[in-house]
Amino acid sequence: MPGATLSRWTMSYFAAACLMLVAGQGLMVAGYGYPFADISAPETLVVVHLIAIGWLSLLMAGALLQFVPVLIARPVIGGRFAMPALLLLLGGLGCLLGGFVALSGALDLPLALLPIGGVMLLAGFGLFAGILAVTLLSARPLPLPARFVATGLAALVGAALIGSAFTATLSGFTESPLLDRLVADGVALHAALGLGGWLSATAVGVSYRLFSMFLLAPEVERSTSRAAWWGASVAVGLVVVAVVFVLSGIFGAALLFAAALLLTLMAVMLYGADVLHIYRGRKRKQAELNIRASFAALGLCALSILLLNVPSLRSGNMVAAVVYLFVFGWLTGLGLAQLYKIVAFLTWLEAYGPVLGRAPVPRVQDLVDERHALILFRLYYGAVGIAVLSLAAGTTGFFRMAVAGQLLSTLCLIREFIRARRLSIVPAALRAPAGMVRPRLFLPLSAFQGDK
Amino acid sequence: MNEMDKTTLSEDIRTALRMVIDPEIGKNIVDLGLVYDIAVEEGGVVSVTMTTTTRFCPATDFLKEAVQACVWYVPGVEYAEVRLTYEPPWTPDMMLDVA
Repeated sequence: MPGATLSRWTMSYFAAACLMLVAGQGLMVAGYGYPFADISAPETLVVVHLIAIGWLSLLMAGALLQFVPVLIARPVIGGRFAMPALLLLLGGLGCLLGGFVALSGALDLPLALLPIGGVMLLAGFGLFAGILAVTLLSARPLPLPARFVATGLAALVGAALIGSAFTATLSGFTESPLLDRLVADGVALHAALGLGGWLSATAVGVSYRLFSMFLLAPEVERSTSRAAWWGASVAVGLVVVAVVFVLSGIFGAALLFAAALLLTLMAVMLYGADVLHIYRGRKRKQAELNIRASFAALGLCALSILLLNVPSLRSGNMVAAVVYLFVFGWLTGLGLAQLYKIVAFLTWLEAYGPVLGRAPVPRVQDLVDERHALILFRLYYGAVGIAVLSLAAGTTGFFRMAVAGQLLSTLCLIREFIRARRLSIVPAALRAPAGMVRPRLFLPLSAFQGDK
Repeated sequence: MNEMDKTTLSEDIRTALRMVIDPEIGKNIVDLGLVYDIAVEEGGVVSVTMTTTTRFCPATDFLKEAVQACVWYVPGVEYAEVRLTYEPPWTPDMMLDVA
């Protein structure tokens, strides 16, 4: 069946994710959350979860629904649950944010929103992780990139479980010294599982395949790649053990966390060496913009992990600056760079796939304008750099201006995604061959086009 | 249909397939080395064996359908069958022209 390997709901996940990124950055520009409020204030939690769940997790989930089949050469099993998972995640996030707003006292909302949000998010992430877990189990033994995804899914479940425990405690619905200890000492572990284990390990796994694919480089499973996976997986395992230590009141969680960070640094270095190897072995003379922009993100990943390994930088302003670098330099930079390519690629498949071989069609690259987007990526990374330095120096005015620059470049990049969806950049002669179906902006493919 | 007719038809098909591009690389699938074999039998029965750059690439079904449609339109083809294979897997070294 033509197009049976297209994920129906991926574009909807992406659209929701982009809206959340704009909302999160918009709140920061408006002076909401850290550094205008305390780092653990409810206002900060609103912004953090808008970015971590609303933007990064939805983006990653949408991308995995499309690309896990490429990693394992099998279709997704249970793809029909992708939409319910999205609704649960969006509803859960809405309740969670409402709960944080209630905690802040800004609006008279019921605190019950917090645990309701926690349960809905746990259900949404559980459903999503279930789809991919069943799919991955059907493809054992897993190729290396898929093993990174499996590690990421395990970390996602851990992060979601801890998060829902937080919501029960913060809302006062549960009183337990066990969970009180987790709220007091487990925030960094929750963040490490979410941002490091879930989002970064999966991004690394998928990128191994995408870099080879887009650079036309041979796919070789090297010993360094296997060592990077082991490093990342053991680091996730150490964080999980640290969570158990915190819950049990056993001393040593901080030591385990430091060891996990060191292992992560080793894994990132090995991953960097692998990416360099792929780049050197490429047949494509000129790397496209999405690859170049991803390399910038990779450099910032290595830098932020290196800085996190310096104990004196793991507190106060400095940790906020380093985590900001990790979230907006590495994860968001990589996310925007890959979206730039993936949106054009999926749009091409929807619009021109059905008429391929029957009429002349454009290339994927004809759907984008790299010269324009290059300026936007430069603006984005420049703004991130200034925002990080402003956070480190404690200059909130500069920080706000820098985030405004990020927001502007993000909005312009989203406009580029929309132009790609609308085929605006495609040369007129090739734009609308007979039989071509114009893609919807973000609504799903019709049932006969997408997965089941 | 003698051997020369078969060879001619095979070349016509190869030429026609140059219209089908790999969307990502932007080059036609023949020069990319994605068409492994074109077998022409008696009566214009054609069997094309092809691959894709990446196994289970989202474009796989579209490429296979495109090859099928393209081959059917070549004069002299009475029946066309397209077979997808990953043995041997495609490597960039199979390209006739570097992208």
